[in-house]
This record gives sequence, C-alpha cells and structure tokens, in this order.
Amino acid sequence: MATDTVKLPERPHEHAMDAVGTEPVRPVMSFYVYEWPVRIWHWLTALLVVALSLTGYFIASPPASVAGDTSALFTFGQIREWHFIAAWLLTIGVVFRAYWAVVGGEHARLIYYVPFWSKQWWSDVFLVVKWYLFLNKGEKWVGHNPLARASMFGMFTLGSLAMVVTGFGLYAEQAGVDSWLRGAFGWTLSLFGSSMALRTWHHAGMYLLLAFSAIHLYAAVRDDIMGRVSTVSSMISGWRTFRDFHDE
Amino acid sequence: MSTTTPNGFTLDGAGRRVVVDPITRIEGHLRIEVNVDEKNVIRNAVSTGTMWRGLEVILKGRDPRDAWAFTERICGVCTGVHALASVRSVEDALGVTIPAQANTIRNILSLALYVQDHLVHFYHLHALDWVDVVSGLKADPKATSELAQTVSPRWPKSSPGYFKDLQTRLKKFVDSGQLGPFRNGYWGHPAYKLPPEANLMATAHYLEALDFQKEIVKIQTVFGGKNPHPNWLVGGVPCSLSIDGAGGVGAINMERLNLVTSIIDQSVDFIEQVYIPDLLAVASFYKDWASLGGGLASKSLLSYGEFPQIAGDDSNKSLLLPRGAIIDGKLSELHEVDLKAQDQVQEFVTHSWFKYADETKGLHPFDGVTEPHFAVGPNTKGDPKKKLEAIDESAKYSWVKAPRWKGHAMEVGPLARMVIAYMAGNTQVKELVDGALKKLDVPITALFSTLGRTAARGLECQWAAHQLRAEHHKLIAGLKAGDSSTANVEKWDPKHWPKKCQGVGYMEAPRGALGHWIVIEDGKIQSYQAVVPTTWNGSPRDAAGKIGAYEASLLDTPMADPKQPLEILRTIHSFDPCLACAAHVVGPDDEEVTRVTVT
Amino acid sequence: MARVETFYEVLRRHGVSRRSFVQFCSLTAASLGLKPAFAEELAQAMQVKPRIPVLWLHGLECTCCSESFIRSAHPLAKDVVLSLISLDYDDTIMAAAGEQAEQCLEDVRREYKGKYLLCVEGNAPLADDGVYCITGGRPFVEQLKDYAADAMAVVSWGSCASWGCVQAAKPNPTHAVPVHEIVRDKPVIKVPGCPPIAEVMTGVISYILTFDRLPELDRQGRPKMFYGQRIHDKCYRRGHFDAGQFVEAWDDDGARQGWCLYKLGCRGPTTYNACSTVRWNDGVSFPIQSGHGCIGCSEKDFWDNGPFYERLANVNLFGAEANADGWAKGAAAVVGAGMAVHAGISAVVRLRDKERHDTHLPPKGGTP
Repeated sequence: MATDTVKLPERPHEHAMDAVGTEPVRPVMSFYVYEWPVRIWHWLTALLVVALSLTGYFIASPPASVAGDTSALFTFGQIREWHFIAAWLLTIGVVFRAYWAVVGGEHARLIYYVPFWSKQWWSDVFLVVKWYLFLNKGEKWVGHNPLARASMFGMFTLGSLAMVVTGFGLYAEQAGVDSWLRGAFGWTLSLFGSSMALRTWHHAGMYLLLAFSAIHLYAAVRDDIMGRVSTVSSMISGWRTFRDFHDE
Repeated sequence: MSTTTPNGFTLDGAGRRVVVDPITRIEGHLRIEVNVDEKNVIRNAVSTGTMWRGLEVILKGRDPRDAWAFTERICGVCTGVHALASVRSVEDALGVTIPAQANTIRNILSLALYVQDHLVHFYHLHALDWVDVVSGLKADPKATSELAQTVSPRWPKSSPGYFKDLQTRLKKFVDSGQLGPFRNGYWGHPAYKLPPEANLMATAHYLEALDFQKEIVKIQTVFGGKNPHPNWLVGGVPCSLSIDGAGGVGAINMERLNLVTSIIDQSVDFIEQVYIPDLLAVASFYKDWASLGGGLASKSLLSYGEFPQIAGDDSNKSLLLPRGAIIDGKLSELHEVDLKAQDQVQEFVTHSWFKYADETKGLHPFDGVTEPHFAVGPNTKGDPKKKLEAIDESAKYSWVKAPRWKGHAMEVGPLARMVIAYMAGNTQVKELVDGALKKLDVPITALFSTLGRTAARGLECQWAAHQLRAEHHKLIAGLKAGDSSTANVEKWDPKHWPKKCQGVGYMEAPRGALGHWIVIEDGKIQSYQAVVPTTWNGSPRDAAGKIGAYEASLLDTPMADPKQPLEILRTIHSFDPCLACAAHVVGPDDEEVTRVTVT
Repeated sequence: MARVETFYEVLRRHGVSRRSFVQFCSLTAASLGLKPAFAEELAQAMQVKPRIPVLWLHGLECTCCSESFIRSAHPLAKDVVLSLISLDYDDTIMAAAGEQAEQCLEDVRREYKGKYLLCVEGNAPLADDGVYCITGGRPFVEQLKDYAADAMAVVSWGSCASWGCVQAAKPNPTHAVPVHEIVRDKPVIKVPGCPPIAEVMTGVISYILTFDRLPELDRQGRPKMFYGQRIHDKCYRRGHFDAGQFVEAWDDDGARQGWCLYKLGCRGPTTYNACSTVRWNDGVSFPIQSGHGCIGCSEKDFWDNGPFYERLANVNLFGAEANADGWAKGAAAVVGAGMAVHAGISAVVRLRDKERHDTHLPPKGGTP
C-alpha cells in the first residue's frame, strides 16, 4: 500500500554494548536512518540558513553607514554577495537533496510528500498530537513522526523551495530582462504583482524557516529526552537509537 | 414660474434644457445643464460633478507621513497643492515647525506652480473660448506683426515672416482635414470677436506657451525631483542644500540655483511680454464679458491666504496674500477665517450623492462623513447607467459636496485672492489691478465677471513670477547667512507623537482655497477630509437652496446659439475647474462604504 | 475622407527643412536608444507614414499623465499633437465640448475603424454599474469598451490605466480596475508611472509610428526599452549603496553628500522605470537626485506596499497591520512562549514518569 512508504528496517542492528564486559549486555535497538549525504546536507543547510538569515536581515535593515572613500568601500555589496553565494550553495543542496530522495534510502523520501489521503496517517498524526499534549505515552518512530514529517514537508521542503524560487526571482532582477534567469524566474514578479511584494514575501519566508528551525530544534531535543530516542546524535552518526529497547 | 434662492438669485427652469457633457478643457468630468428662455438667455443652471474616487476611505489607517503622496494624486494639474496642504495638516497636528529655508523652498514650489498653471490655463484651457484659430487664416501677416509689436514691443518673435510662416502651416493643417484638437470647434461662432490678426497672434502664442510651460516646472523638478507630482516631506522639504564641500554635487548647489534663476528670468519675460499683453488685448475686444458671469464674485469671496513669510505662522502678518472672507457684497469688511471653528467651514450633501444622518445640517470637516449614495430624482430624464438625458436638480445631482462658510456659498480662486488682497491694502496687488483696470478703461466692478476672473488670474500670475524671484533671493540670502537646514526631524519617529491629535493644513491652490483636516490616532490616520477649491466653486445647492459659484455665474448670460455652448464654456472655464479635486474625499467615519441605490 | 498627410509632409509644411528633419530623426533615434543606422529608417518611415488618429479617453484619474505629456522636450508635445498624430479627441485640450466633442469620437471611430490608437488615462470604476465616473451622460466603462472595440491598439497611460493606482488602493471603494481587465481582445501597452516620464510617453508613440509596430513588451506588458531595468540598476547613487553609505535621517550629512536613500525607504531597487536614465523634465533631475527616495509609482499596487519611508512593506493579517519584522516579533513571542510552556510541562511529566519507567512498545517503523 502506498501509505506504507517506510517499512521497518529488515534487521534491527544490535549494538554490542558489552565491549568491556563488566556490565550485562544491554543491546539497544538501532536503525540506520540518515545516510551520510543526508547528514552532510543537513548540517550544511543549517549553516546556510543561519548565514542567509543574517545577511538577509541586514539586506533589509542595513547596518550603520560607513564613512570613507566610496569607491574603496564595498560593505553592503559584500553582505549581498555573501547572501548570493550562500543562496547558490543552498540551491545546490536543495537540488541534491531532491535527487537523493530519488536514489537514496526510503527515509530520504519521507519529507517530500505527505500521505494526507491515508486514514492511517491521520490517525497516527492524531496519536502524535496527543503525545505532544501529554495525553498518551507516545509511539516510537524510526524516521520522522508523521506530524514532524508534515511540518518538514510544509515548512521546510516547500518553504526552502519557495525561498529559492523567490530568491532567484529577485536575483534575476539584476540579471536583466532578457537574461535566462529572468526567463526562468521572472514569473515570480507577475505572481506577486511587484518586485516589492516579492521582497516582502521572501523576507517573511525567512521568518517561516527560522520558526521552523526553532521548533525543529526544540522537538529534536525534547524527543531525545522525553522519547528516549536519539535525535541530534542520529544526524551525526546516521543511527537512530531507541534507548528503552533492550533485552532484559 | 421662477424661484429666488436665499442667496439672491432667480432661477427659472421652465425654458429649454441645454446639456453640455463633457465640459472639455478642464480637469476631470463635469456636466453643465442650463435652461434658456425664449431669448436664449440662461435662467437656470445645474452643475454636476460626475466622478468620485473615494480617497478618504483609502487614506484611513495609513501612515500620516505618506498622506501627502496620496492626496497629491487628487490632482495632477495643480500638482503639489494637496501635498502641501497635507504636510501642513500633519505638522499642525504634531506641532512641528519647519525650518525657514524649507518654508522658502515650499513657497518657491507653489509659486512656480502658480506661474505655470495660470499660463497653461489661459492659453491651453481658456484661450480657444476667445480665439478663433481658423479666423487667423484670413489675417494679414504684416498687420499681425504690427499688432504684436505694438502690444509686446520687446518680444522677438513678431516679424511678418514669423506670422506668415505660421499662417501657411495653419492653412495646410486645416486643409488636411485632420484638425486634431481643433476638430469640431466653434469656429466662426458669432460670439468670437477678435479680428483675424489678433487670432493669428494668439494662435502663435498658444504654441509658444505650450513650449514654454514645460520650462517653468523645472523649478519643481529641481527641488522636488519631478513634475507632475514632485516629492514633499513632513517636517520640511526632502532636498538638502549644500553649496560647499564635496557634498555640493549631491544636493541643491550653485548650478541648481542658477538653473532656477534662469527659469525665473524667462518666466517673468514671457508673462510680461506675452501673457499680460495678450490678456489685455483679448479683454479689450470682449468688454461685454466684464458684466457677465459674475455670480457670487461680487457677493461672497473666500481666501485662506498663502505664502507664509515666517515658517509655521499662518496669521496675516506672515501671509503675503491675506486670509479672509467677504460676504453680502460688503467689500470693505474682511471677516476673519478660522478653519478649526465648528461654525465656519461646513459641508452639506442635500444635493450631493452622499448620505448624512441629518441632511438639513452641514458638518465641519473634523466631523465630516463621506458615505456615497448614488440616487437620482424622479424628474431625471434617461438612465445615468445607460444614457443620462437631463438631471433632476431637485434631488441629489452631483458627486461634489456643498461647502459653506458660516452658511454662505463662496467663490474662491485668483479673483477672490486678488480682491481680498486689494481690500487688505496689498500695494503690489493694488498697483497691478489698478493698472489693468486703467488700461482697459473699466471700473473696479468689472472684476466681478467672467472677464474679471480671467484677468485676475493673469495679474496674479505676474505677481507670482515676481514673488518667485523674491523667494529665490531669500533662499540665497539665507544660504549666505549660513542657513542650510531643510528638515526638522525631531518628530519624524511616530514614537514621539501624541496618542491622538488633529490638525488643519491650509493652502491657496491656483484654483482657490484648499483645506485638509486630519485626525491622527496611534500613529495612523483616523480621519482625513479635504475641502477643495472646485468643491466651493462647483458646489451644488445646499439644504437651504443656495446655489454655488458655477451655477450663479451662468445665470442671465445670453447665448447666441444654445447648440454651440461657447458662452457656457467661457464662464465655466474662467473658474479653471478641477473635478478630480472636487469630488474625492474624506470622511473620519468608521462606516464602510455602503452600497449605492438608484431610486 | 481627406488624404492623410505624412509626418514628413507635415514637417515640411511647418517650415522644417529636409536637413533639420534628418537631424530630428537622429535625435529621436538616439533618445529611443537606437543605433544611428535607425535614424535613416526613421527618416524614411516618417516620409511615408500618415498621421495616425488618436482618441485619448479620461476615466478616474488626476490628469497628471496629460500634464506630463505636454512636458515632453523631444519631441515637443506641440509637434506630437500637431504633426505626429492627429489627436482627434482629448477632453483636456480639445476645443469642442458636449455634443460636438462626442461627435469627434463617433466620427473617428467610423472613418478610421481599426486604424486609430486608443490612449486611456485613468481607469474605470465598476462598482454600482460604473456611476462613479460618468462622461457624456453614461458610465466611462461603456465608453471605454465602445472605443476599444474598433481601435488598432490601446495605450494605457500611467499607473491608473496600467495597474489601478491610487483609487484602486485598498479598499478600492469604487472598484476601479485597470484597462487590460476590461479590454481583453486588443493589444494593450502599459506605460505606467504616476505620471509616466514625458519623453517615455512620446517615445512610445513615436516608436509605434516610426517602426510601424508595437514596441517589444515585457511579461507585464510594458515596453522593455523603458521598463526593462530598475531605477536602482542605473542610479547614480548606486556606488553609495554598494559601499554601505546611507542617508540615516533627513538632511543629515549623508543627505547633503548625496548618499543612498535605501534606509529612508527608497523603492528604486523594486521599481522598473527609466527615471535614473531618462530623468524628468528634459533631464533636469529625478526624485532620488532631489533627495527623496523613489516611491515606486510605476509599480503595481505601490500604494499598498507602504509605508513609503520604511524598507519593509506593511502586511495586513487578521485585521492588524505590521511589516514582516513586526509579525516575526509577534510570532517569535508566541512560538517562544509556547515552547517554554511546553518544555516546562514536559519536564514535569518526565519527572513524574521517571519512576514508573516501563515503556516496552516496539517502535513503529515510521509507518505513516
């Protein structure tokens, strides 16, 4: 069934924790979730979002004026240039990540669509919502839980795509009316009505991504503690570990 | 069956109805209907403003510092006047005094507009009422040259060859059959009185003026960045003055000042060598119009005063053209005008397409309501949504409200300003007016007429050109004394504003008295109301039945041929109507715009 | 119908010599940004082209477009009106009024069906069957539809006709709509601006007559040659922008030195127009040069992208208004508080549950 896009891993990997042997063997249930390209992409994207937000904020609200010889200065231009470089890198990441969704593991596809047509999915979302409202003990999810998946899809996957597209719409403005960039992204100007409106929404998009990042960070840390499941370290090692599962 | 209005005019709607719609060579959309008796004399007149844009509703909730840009777009002909009234209203509300140099620059901007607007009005909106372009074909170029050299001896473009050439071009133009803007004009109408030579000379100046007017506005471009619709600023003017150091090229510097000087010199020349001589020459052939089209002019005149010499001071000791009102024809008695007094300026909507809770009463602009309500009376002929044949003036009939000063319908404009300044003893104005009256050999009462209105505008234009030079000298003198401040930014940031405040911005626009009333709450516009010159002059009737200036001025005018309404155009044009201004504006009401019903 | 004169004939008749005519053509070509070779083509074209009839209608507007038009320095408005086109209807300057004026419209439509140019200044209010703008006794929208039907093409003068402009700013009480939303079956050339630059207006007209075709338009329907770049792209203060030198307050030292007006809300970076190149009133200045930021008057909905002195436009959400930073502050407060509360409860729940630590449920394999 289409809804079962992510299946249980075939063989739970058992960490042998008995290296030294003084303690009883306490195997922990772990799954390989994040392949290395995804992990690199994740941290790079995190870095770029911070860089883009900072430079983007300053593009909208420039720092104090600099005195001195105008022709020797490129302060504001520099901020913009960093923004553009970071934006290109982010774009490469977005494209690569989409490519990886196709060729990578099953977990890599999770954040590219949401099976909102599936009853099962909705009931799972309901379970998660209840968990966040402290109404149940929670379930364990190998990949993202369904609510996280929806917010990743809606706020991050679509959000970053919108930022790339609107960003290139703005970038294309300086490339000129007959440039290929304008040809590819000029429609954003018509879509939003004006360059000013496009800027406004690109700027608002930054806050959407930052809000997502904050919630993402909070949920990850909380899951780590409350759900007794590795989150932050998973994105470093690739392994998701459920600390409560071990053979007695 | 005639009726007499409370302001002393006799109306008789029994005769034949004549409709002129559109009135052309004005700003905006205006419809005039008159009834003529069997001798083709106008016995009833109805003025209908036929557009409304609802800027009041749009301004609500916006940043008061932006309001000038919105209100400036009320009118692109008298561009800038609403912007100035607007920034003054915000400054009045917030208690901001602008720097002296900013005040001078604002005067320069306004005076440049006076000069250009009056010139364009005379030649391009009004002249064709008096000048038969086609008759110029019969002129003798040599005689035309002699005429031109007599009336303006110092103007170089006056050789027989110049007029001969123009005539030849004109002939081919007419022969081509493509008359463009002259198509279907009233050429050959018996009311045209100028000899062919005068017509040819005036046609030449029509074209010269068209070329020249674009020079005058460059003054606005220097200080305001563009024209039409230059930029303004709450707290001063946006341009900086910098005559020394590296900054000189980024601001108003010596080169810019020289450009302005040169334009002022050319303007004074053009007005004194071309405009005024033409005006007097044309007037001398139309002296019968010195007793027609008076209307309210000899009864009630209003001016808010203009060109403060002290920044932020709008008392008559500061204003070059004084503030005041004349009522009941008592010229020597100048009444004080207080724009904030509840019982002075009021607007009625009894005959306007708006709704009040109680339409027998007028509302002061601070309490004004603008709720559109389109409905025509039972005697209307035709359907305004398909084809309106004749309006019913006993019901609502215009998008223009009816403003009244202490209950009086008033005339505003150059004539009102000149008469009030004359009566207040302004020596420059007295000299100009007396000189013109003497040259034309007409009594002072000749001012209260269609011709008087047109003449007053020309004289004011001349006065303005000289005053422009004086203000420019003042700007330079200020710079010499080291004063280069152009903006007061103390209260720029809304966090320095009171929670709620209100203010009035006055302005004497080229067309007359203009006022903006603003209420600011929590840093946003809570209400905005403008009462503009054409609202005064083009006013429909009020609750008591008093008629406005347009309607009054048309009465008793004989028409040679009602099918060719040249006489109506002459008088209406003498006011220089601006309908986009008149039918606009602003209510502090919280109500949403309601649906319009047609009864 | 009288034989229509060519532009060249008209100029000759006006006493313009062959030599000055060729000079005029070179100047016009230069002002249009065309290569010198075009001057010849231009001269050739004008000798055989008839004067094109133009009907210039006025809807809800302020007449700033007409006023701007007559400021044109090259070509002079006088020459355009008398020699280049045949301006057979324009209620702002025409001699005739009332019936006689209306007759001009009818005659031209009949005589030049499909051959005249319709210029529209202002726009049509649609609310309440169009009663907010009545001309000649009927709603303007009807007049517009009628005369657009037989026109060769339509020129939308200014921001009113192109986008809606001030009367269409929120809440647009008269439901004013731009021309292209009413005229859908004719080419519509938008020449936005409040008003457009005079030489841009006459440039568009002379381009059509000279090259016998409509100018190349961008996606939004504006001539690329004048609206292809932002004011910012060619702004003489651009150096200060890149350097990071901004006017911080009105009339400060930066203002006097002509620094960048970005921080005072200048819309140059978001406005497509020729102000920084063609400039205004025969090249005398343009808003930025005279110390005030651009307000973006040639852009769609520029009135609703204010306040003009802020970098960020206000956005109206849930009946309240703030810019993106303002909304973000609010959102940050809500999200932050929510997370703090949630974290607090989480800690309490975790402490309570710590003793009865009994979870043995198998993980769900990410099954959605």
